Amino acid sequence: MALFEISGLSFRYPKSEAYALKDVDIVIGQGDFVTLVGPTGSGKSTLLRLLKPEMQFNGEIGGKIRFDGKPLHTLDARESAARISFVAQSPEEQIVTDKVWHELAFTAENLGMKQSEIARRVAETAAYFGIAPWYRQATAQLSGGQKQLLNLASVMVGEPDVLILDEPTAQLDPITAARFIDTLYKLNRETGVTVVISEHRAEELIPLCDRMIVLDKGCVVYDDAPRDIADRLDKSSPYLPYLPQAARMFIESGKAGRCPLSVREGRRIFGGTQTNESKTARRSEDDRTAALEIMDVFFRYEKDAPDVLSGLSATVYAGEIFAVLGANGCGKSTAAAVIAGLKKPYSGKVKLFGRALKEYKNGSLYKENVSLLPQDAESVFLRASVKEELEGCEEVLAKLPFDLSPLFSRHPYDISGGERQLVALCRALKSKPRLLILDEPSKGLDPVSKRRLAELLIQLKNSGVTVLMVSHDVEFAAVCADRCALFFDGAIAACEETDGFMNGNRYYTTAAVRILRGRHEGAVVG
Amino acid sequence: MRRFHDSNPAAVALYYLCVTGVTMFSVNPVIISISLLASVLNYCLYAEGGVKPHVFSAVLLIVLTAVNPLVNHNGMTVLFYLNDRPITAEACIYGLVTAGTVVASLYWIRLFTKAMTSDRLLYLFGRLSPKLSLILSMSIRYVELLRGRWRRIRDTQRALGLYDDGNPIDALKGSARVLSILITWAIENGIITAESMEARGYGTGRRMSFRMFRFRSSDAILVIVFIALTALGVIGIGAAKIVYYPAIGMDLTEPVSIAGYGGFAVLSILPVIINTKEAVRWRYLRSAV
Amino acid sequence: MTVIENRRVRSVMRFGIPLVLIPALVVTGAAVFGEKRYLLISLGVAMLALALFAAGIEKKNIGSRRMVIVAVMTAMAVIGRFIPLFKPITALCVMTAMYLGAEAGFLCGALSVLVSNIYFGQGPWTPFQMLGFGLIGLFAGYLSLPLLKSRVLLIGYGVLAGIAYSMLMDVWTVLWYNGSFDGTLYLTAIVSALPYTALYAVSNVGFLLLMRKPMGDKLGRIKLKYGV
Ligand SMILES: Nc1ncnc2c1ncn2[C@@H]1O[C@H](COP(=O)(O)OP(=O)(O)OP(=O)(O)O)[C@@H](O)[C@H]1O
Ligand SMILES: Nc1ncnc2c1ncn2[C@@H]1O[C@H](COP(=O)(O)OP(=O)(O)OP(=O)(O)O)[C@@H](O)[C@H]1O
Ligand SMILES: [Mg+2]
Ligand SMILES: [Mg+2]
Repeated sequence: MALFEISGLSFRYPKSEAYALKDVDIVIGQGDFVTLVGPTGSGKSTLLRLLKPEMQFNGEIGGKIRFDGKPLHTLDARESAARISFVAQSPEEQIVTDKVWHELAFTAENLGMKQSEIARRVAETAAYFGIAPWYRQATAQLSGGQKQLLNLASVMVGEPDVLILDEPTAQLDPITAARFIDTLYKLNRETGVTVVISEHRAEELIPLCDRMIVLDKGCVVYDDAPRDIADRLDKSSPYLPYLPQAARMFIESGKAGRCPLSVREGRRIFGGTQTNESKTARRSEDDRTAALEIMDVFFRYEKDAPDVLSGLSATVYAGEIFAVLGANGCGKSTAAAVIAGLKKPYSGKVKLFGRALKEYKNGSLYKENVSLLPQDAESVFLRASVKEELEGCEEVLAKLPFDLSPLFSRHPYDISGGERQLVALCRALKSKPRLLILDEPSKGLDPVSKRRLAELLIQLKNSGVTVLMVSHDVEFAAVCADRCALFFDGAIAACEETDGFMNGNRYYTTAAVRILRGRHEGAVVG
Repeated sequence: MRRFHDSNPAAVALYYLCVTGVTMFSVNPVIISISLLASVLNYCLYAEGGVKPHVFSAVLLIVLTAVNPLVNHNGMTVLFYLNDRPITAEACIYGLVTAGTVVASLYWIRLFTKAMTSDRLLYLFGRLSPKLSLILSMSIRYVELLRGRWRRIRDTQRALGLYDDGNPIDALKGSARVLSILITWAIENGIITAESMEARGYGTGRRMSFRMFRFRSSDAILVIVFIALTALGVIGIGAAKIVYYPAIGMDLTEPVSIAGYGGFAVLSILPVIINTKEAVRWRYLRSAV
Repeated sequence: MTVIENRRVRSVMRFGIPLVLIPALVVTGAAVFGEKRYLLISLGVAMLALALFAAGIEKKNIGSRRMVIVAVMTAMAVIGRFIPLFKPITALCVMTAMYLGAEAGFLCGALSVLVSNIYFGQGPWTPFQMLGFGLIGLFAGYLSLPLLKSRVLLIGYGVLAGIAYSMLMDVWTVLWYNGSFDGTLYLTAIVSALPYTALYAVSNVGFLLLMRKPMGDKLGRIKLKYGV
């Protein structure tokens, strides 16, 4: 039975010429699991928001959306709240109340359910999602992954028919993200809830979903089972990056037969394949100068809180890209702040270009030495337009492989998340730092923009800038980093050249490595 | 183990209302003494905070005792003259009693603040007004959120070389900039929260308030006990005749008054009694396991 | 909670409570009751007034966006109370009231007291403080048009709010200490609180002038973009 019938849908934002969506025809059946992919600005968020009346933006809508046989706009507010749920990208801002239990009860409270009914649903949901251990905690104390799980759980309390998710795992580490997607899959199978989700990181999602819709410039390009779409794509297709690694390898290798999607299927086909040698030659340790030396650093936020950094030691060499990977909340951002001299460790030392941090007087540290792009790009912006924000950055802008000028007239809060990230990066490069620290630089970017960002970083590296990068994006780190480190329990647990690192890891590694594991060494990005 | 403060927040609030109320509205030296001793005992047992609050209280007691005779010159027994104004024994004693009232109430109020954590406060408000309770809940969450965000923005701005520490003017300008970003951030992200509320059916009809704290029969018993003991105390206070001016005249030993003192004394150490009972029972239960 | 359906009655209440009912009750209370009961009466009046406001707001349909922004401004005011000496709480309430209306102003004032007292200590003074700051916000909301237009008026309002609030709290101090109202004590209290009153009025004006433009821009933009 069809739940959503979308026909001839078009949408245009006020004051903008181009249509964000054009002639979209989609039918979503009860119990479907649909993934939406496409480049940044292709209209994924716009489409998803149109499916949820409360989230619709102002603008000109053409065409029809029918929900459960009736036009969507005739759905009354209560029914819409109860039957259609929405989870968005940022885990933090969607949380309304200050306690986990209250957040869980929120939907049920709004729908005016009886005490006993609320209690039953909250208890059941908390048990299902494994929330019981932190049921009474303050929401502010949760980790990013827990927050997003809470968002999902709290909309599920309403027992909706449809679950709409807009990049729900953008802020999660790869393992938490995979677990989140597993939960979605389980919900879909066990409760029959319809799932419509948009994602840039489709690696885990595509093999699980029934349908994949590729959007580009507001039009539906493909709408079919993922395997059928994969069968139709060839080597030169611009949509290839949206398929999982196994399918990409398969298509690029030109083999015949059914296209694999998951790592497991990929291993069946590519087991025993030999590829060429490792691409970066190992350099010897001693002919490099250290840009940054971290020696036995201990840090905690409060006197009697646990250590966040405990005995962190590392050396970053001049002119390399060094990537730090690790789980949500393990202290990567804290480490970045300590290295940038923003937080004082209670023990240990940080040396930058041979000098201790405190020897940089009068802010000279932040003039031409270090620059930090924070995890939340918003904390960079202080002006009312992108143009004012980028004043004095002309030199940087000229070198950038992106064109930011169309954004100049907009408010920094009116541009997409990916674009915000780029503007903030530009701002961080203004002071011409010798050491650039990036916290999650690739978040919210589509595969194509990511590749261009990687090129930019490599270009910076070649011009002599040392880059220290904290990231959840293993694939991105594999493309551009020279060395990778795994952060665990307040210190670096493993640190190696990228190839060795990826090949040594079992979970914190790229899909290509997982597919080819044990058969050969060296292929990291496939 | 169900300690006193794990009772229903309404009952706990009522308790503090009763003890603070009796303390604040009484000028009976016996009641005030009981209240002061009991509140200090409770405070030491359940709100440990070092010696600092006690030092503060002692100083306050002395200062407040001294204020009354300095501004109030009623009373017959003149002790001495200060600037041609009589300082009377009655005013001194009355000052001591009122100072005791204030200090004892302060102790009770501090205990109340400790007991009324934000979720208990919300529980009480949720019963009065679901909408207000929601705004309250959001505000409490934003306080923590904004404090953390303030620090992060300050760090970012410093790392971008905009926040010069060095001279105070620069620092002030930097703070203003951070504040400005913080407010923009808070308001813009608030809209996301609002959308999330609407998407989850906020404002579509009558709102219920989910209550985490159940009102058990033991809470009902507690409430009855509070009210009975308070009533006893108030009747006892009423029966005692106390005049401070022009001369001190007190009749504190009516049998009804003595019963009232007893009632109030039990009321004011009720947390200690209940917690001790529970602790003993717990130990017994554990040894039985 | 009782709910007032009739709009006329509600609007009469809106002005009636702060301007007529409270002073009237306080005066009768003073005349009829002696000794410490006076304190009880005034406390009762403050709570009653707050409860009536709560009833009015509960009934009113405040959009969720406006509510969130009130919560944000409240949180800012709470954080502001941690700044030593200079407190921006009045300025934030007034700004909220000017852009989002009298109810929002009242809520911001009253709730910021309630929330900040979780950190600073709740007590019988809480209802008085809530009422004090709530009223500062409420009246700023009623006067929003002239206040938005004239800077002089805004400065005047800041000074007045500082003095009025200080004097209200002195009444409470005297009541608490003495049980009944005492002219000499009140004067002593006012005089001894003079430096604070002055500091308070100055910081009100300072923050209002500092925030007028940037806060106005931000709240104005939000009103435009999201139709709050
Ligand atoms: N508030 C807005 N006003 C005007 N144009 C907008 C607005 N929001 C989005 N757009 C434009 O609409 C188009 C589609 O945006 P949308 O956010 O749906 O993209 P998306 O596919 O979700 O991108 P991403 O992958 O970055 O999330 C883009 O060209 C974008 O610039
Ligand atoms: N300002 C703070 N005060 C107290 N604790 C904090 C603060 N900031 C972070 N923490 C705690 O320190 C730990 C590390 O946080 P951090 O932000 O460095 O993690 P992270 O590795 O960057 O996580 P993510 O991948 O989600 O960005 C977490 O447990 C967090 O709760
Ligand atoms: Mg999007
Ligand atoms: Mg981080």
